[in-house]
Amino acid sequence: MEKILRSEEMAEIVLLPVRHHSPACSFHVKKVIEDYAPSVILIEGPENANELIPVMVHPDTAAPFAIYYSYYDKAGQISEEKEHYKCYYPFLDYSPELVALRTANALGIPAAFMDLSYADILAASEKGQGLRKKEEKNNYNDDYLLSRNTYIKKLCEKANLRSFDEFWEKYFEIEGLSRESKDWFSDLLLYCTQARENTPEEVIREDGSLAREMHMAETILRVICGIPAPGDSYIPEEAFLAKEPEIPLRILVVTGGFHTPSLSALLQDDEFVSSVKKKGRQKAKKQQQNVYLMPYSMEAADALNGYASGMPYPAFYEQIWEKLFESPEDCYKQTVLDFLVACGKETRKKEGNISTYDEICAVRMADGLSFLRGKSEPGAYELFDAVLSSYVKGEYTIATDTPMLILKKNMTGSAIGKLCGQAAIPPIVQDFEAQCKLFSLKTGSTLETEVTLSPFSSDKQREKSCFFHRMLFLNTSYARRLKGPNLQRQKDRNLIREIWRYKWSAQVNAALIDVSVYGATIEEAADSLVKEELKKEIGAGACALLLTKVFEMGLKNKLQTVYDQAQMLIQKDTDFYSLADALSYLKMMRELGPLYQSELDFELLLQLTIRKLISLLPSMVTVKEEDLNKCMNAIKLLYQLTKGDTQEEFFRILMQMQKDPQIQAGLDGCIHGILYGGGKEDASLIEKACLGYFRGTKVQMKKTALFFRGLFFSARDLIFIGEQILSMLDIFLQQAESAEFMELLPELRMAFTYFTPREIDRIAEKAAALHGKTGSDITSLKEIPSDWYAYGKELDCYIKDRT
Amino acid sequence: MKESIKPPVEIRYQKELAALEAADTARKPGNWRLSPQAVRTFILGSREPVTYQGETISVRKKYFGNDALVERCIITLAGNRGLMLVGEPGTAKTMLSELLSAAISGVSTNTIQGTAGTTEDMIKYSWNYALLLAKGPNREALVPAPLYVGMERGILTRFEEITRTPAEIQDSLISVLSDKVLNVPELGDDGFLFAKPGFNVIGTANTRDKGVNEMSSALKRRFNFETVMPVREVSLEKQIILNEVSELAAENGIDMTPDEKAAELLASTYHELREGISSYGHRIDKPSAVMSTAEAVSVYYQTMISGYYYGDRSFDVDCLVQNLVGAISKENKDDLSKVKEYFSTVIKDKSSKEGGLWKKYYEARKWLK
Repeated sequence: MEKILRSEEMAEIVLLPVRHHSPACSFHVKKVIEDYAPSVILIEGPENANELIPVMVHPDTAAPFAIYYSYYDKAGQISEEKEHYKCYYPFLDYSPELVALRTANALGIPAAFMDLSYADILAASEKGQGLRKKEEKNNYNDDYLLSRNTYIKKLCEKANLRSFDEFWEKYFEIEGLSRESKDWFSDLLLYCTQARENTPEEVIREDGSLAREMHMAETILRVICGIPAPGDSYIPEEAFLAKEPEIPLRILVVTGGFHTPSLSALLQDDEFVSSVKKKGRQKAKKQQQNVYLMPYSMEAADALNGYASGMPYPAFYEQIWEKLFESPEDCYKQTVLDFLVACGKETRKKEGNISTYDEICAVRMADGLSFLRGKSEPGAYELFDAVLSSYVKGEYTIATDTPMLILKKNMTGSAIGKLCGQAAIPPIVQDFEAQCKLFSLKTGSTLETEVTLSPFSSDKQREKSCFFHRMLFLNTSYARRLKGPNLQRQKDRNLIREIWRYKWSAQVNAALIDVSVYGATIEEAADSLVKEELKKEIGAGACALLLTKVFEMGLKNKLQTVYDQAQMLIQKDTDFYSLADALSYLKMMRELGPLYQSELDFELLLQLTIRKLISLLPSMVTVKEEDLNKCMNAIKLLYQLTKGDTQEEFFRILMQMQKDPQIQAGLDGCIHGILYGGGKEDASLIEKACLGYFRGTKVQMKKTALFFRGLFFSARDLIFIGEQILSMLDIFLQQAESAEFMELLPELRMAFTYFTPREIDRIAEKAAALHGKTGSDITSLKEIPSDWYAYGKELDCYIKDRT
Repeated sequence: MKESIKPPVEIRYQKELAALEAADTARKPGNWRLSPQAVRTFILGSREPVTYQGETISVRKKYFGNDALVERCIITLAGNRGLMLVGEPGTAKTMLSELLSAAISGVSTNTIQGTAGTTEDMIKYSWNYALLLAKGPNREALVPAPLYVGMERGILTRFEEITRTPAEIQDSLISVLSDKVLNVPELGDDGFLFAKPGFNVIGTANTRDKGVNEMSSALKRRFNFETVMPVREVSLEKQIILNEVSELAAENGIDMTPDEKAAELLASTYHELREGISSYGHRIDKPSAVMSTAEAVSVYYQTMISGYYYGDRSFDVDCLVQNLVGAISKENKDDLSKVKEYFSTVIKDKSSKEGGLWKKYYEARKWLK
């Protein structure tokens, strides 16, 4: 706790260093506010969220929730890529910032955020640093600088603790509850000063911390000097009005501990103070940035903590926070006991091997460890050790780790926050609600509802289908398709109806807010996301797949863009399989185009892809067995789609491939079939090739089944024309020794999967005729006498009893 | 000439134990020689040296890898349940159990060596038949086995390789562990031996070798299990190799200092072959042989002594590779070809990028046959 007196301005500034999501910190922050009764409280947080404070402190708003900041750099001020940016600022009941806001609200003290706005922080950060890190979810309150430095590493080693979190829990949480707030904050400040001194200056500059600290110090000074900056700052007017001439202003500043030393230095730097005073009122800056509150989940809060942005195990510390005011002297002991019992109970239910005595042993272990480690009460780490030692029976492997998984799940928690009715509804959520109303979809109920659509029968049904597809694409978990044409898997294309199940929940709104950076309506967001997808390095196949999604979502104005991109990618792509995928999607879309009201001409793209594929074909001669199916499918598709000169060229390449002695046997079979179908080869050539394999050396002989597999894939009718192929197969099977036959069997089975059951029967009949039998001779079996069954059953029981 | 090849832990670290005992002011469970804190310090080391009888004694770290595991072991032994150390071979389970016994009871030799031929009387007690015939069943004629000794004196009983003994023999521990009483029916009313405070059992079990038996769930319930994992950091593994080899050399009067670079070479080979991935990111086929740190220590030590007796007292990389072959090609003949592959990819790259000893190491691949 740093107290700075600025006698000239008649103000006393108290700087409170905090760590995000820390019960002990919140406990002391609350105490200090109540005891100190400041005139204004300024809190670290982008100032463009100030308007949300009334909703955050509303009694109907329940944590966890997060402030969602988004910014679209349309003008390319931050980087040339003109990217969309978003970040989260999660709050739990025991987040010191939220506790400060709530306490201020209860005591009627004006409180505000004071950091740079989100867009300004982005502008102040270097590419790939701070909030510009390329991460799935960027977290505003990332105090990684407090926990990742050489100083803390050495400190943990010296204190015999395994991590910064354990160090923090021992010295600041467990021991911190019994200490005076003043001393506790002094210790924390000392630690933060050390951490800062051990962090390289460029790291602090690159992640935007220096610029932010300057701004925060400036805001504090503007408040004490009474220089509001309308427009860019959202600090409530009453914060400035709180200053009365005779009474010194008492200002309390709550920031991440890492910034406190720097703020303290700036506020005592007279040069800096006079420069702020000289600046006077500032002009408003216009920035297109959105900020909303969204319900959050404990899991999401914990997942963010993967980067040490706050304390882990939110549900565990939430319980500590709840018990803290009832029994501060043993809240950890009680909470550990509660978690041990809950974990024991759940494990017992699942695995049935945890006894009450195990629970007693676990409690003893936790207590014993806390004693050995010099902690006054057991904490999260003793809880883990106790479960590992007393609940896990046998070697710790994935087969025995159930108790640990249960414990981790319980310590994370599953609670989801709630916003009060006054919370602003972002435009995208408004659009969602309007569309639900338009399509008569329920939003009040959280029960799953089924709806059947005929998207090709009326425009309204089609629009409704597009809406569901867009929601699916935006990953909102709102709707799922049970049945209907699946263009991505190229399945059920003949279906004319779609069956959807949809369910509204608070998470749907949260997910929509999450994508609100991409647009104010669902269509706009889907549109921008398609654009984002195209920016990624994808192949022709993935691009064609995206085009199918654009088809389904009915994003007509995006079709041409994706089409153009696909054309470019096809030209660039040299991956045979990616191009083959693209070809099959394009073929499908050409067929379905009119149904999905597309006027795109796919012929050009198809021809381009075909030419590329034919040119790449020779490199597929030695295709790997696991890729054989994909390769044969592509060849078959090429056969179907080529005509005229292109087909002649295709056949020429195939014949050239056949001449290669290294050719893969399955591919060889497939090519023979295709050439036979195209009239380029007669059956005798195929027979010759076939004989070549099974009269060849042993290794070649074993490839015969693979050859048949390829052959039947492309020309299964061959077996029914004449007797040659079948009798050859018969001779081959007779020649094969029993062990060889077993080796070949899987491949032969695969070869015969291309025939329908009826065809198999016909083959069987023909095969039987070769040996002078009829079909019924080999298909009908003798009836098994009933006493055999009885004997078998008896035998079974006997064996069962014996074992 | 020293008296034994490997003196027990309590003799090897006699001074450290005495110093810690003298300086120990913390609370001790009944019959424990040291307090739980001092046991921890003995095993995990201390930065501050201890002064004992005017001499400054530094307590070095003896067990590497997982400090929390050691702490859990200590607390388990102070409680009502036995401690079972499980894990792959060569992960220092036995060493840990010896250290714990020496620190807690002052003796690490009260041990049952589990084998397929272990019988109940090797665990509990047997009789001196001459005395039994002469005087009838009495305490004098009874020959106590380690479990009996542990209960009678209030010390730890170590049960090595418990899973090698048949399941029914293992189960003879069940009642003793839960009731802490052993009944010798032949002695009549005097036949009840109630365990003194300080008694507990440390078992070690190997989970990977062939020929091990499953433990009954009743017995499992009487133990807290600790899974000892192989060392995950190359630097730590190197440190263990250096420490162990230095001690072995000192004990056997070999006047040679282990080569740090060579230890790193061996540690990274063992580590990479065990994990299946190299520090450069190559994917490696893992050999089926046990690639434990203990094996690495033995390969290193063998190389060192052959250099000492046959060579010029320097560390010979060729000899290291020869010993590596001996250590690896035990169970499966394919293992050697996997190591050859490892040399022709990973070591080749390392030799060209890092040169020096790595280059010599790569050149020594000719011995891989």
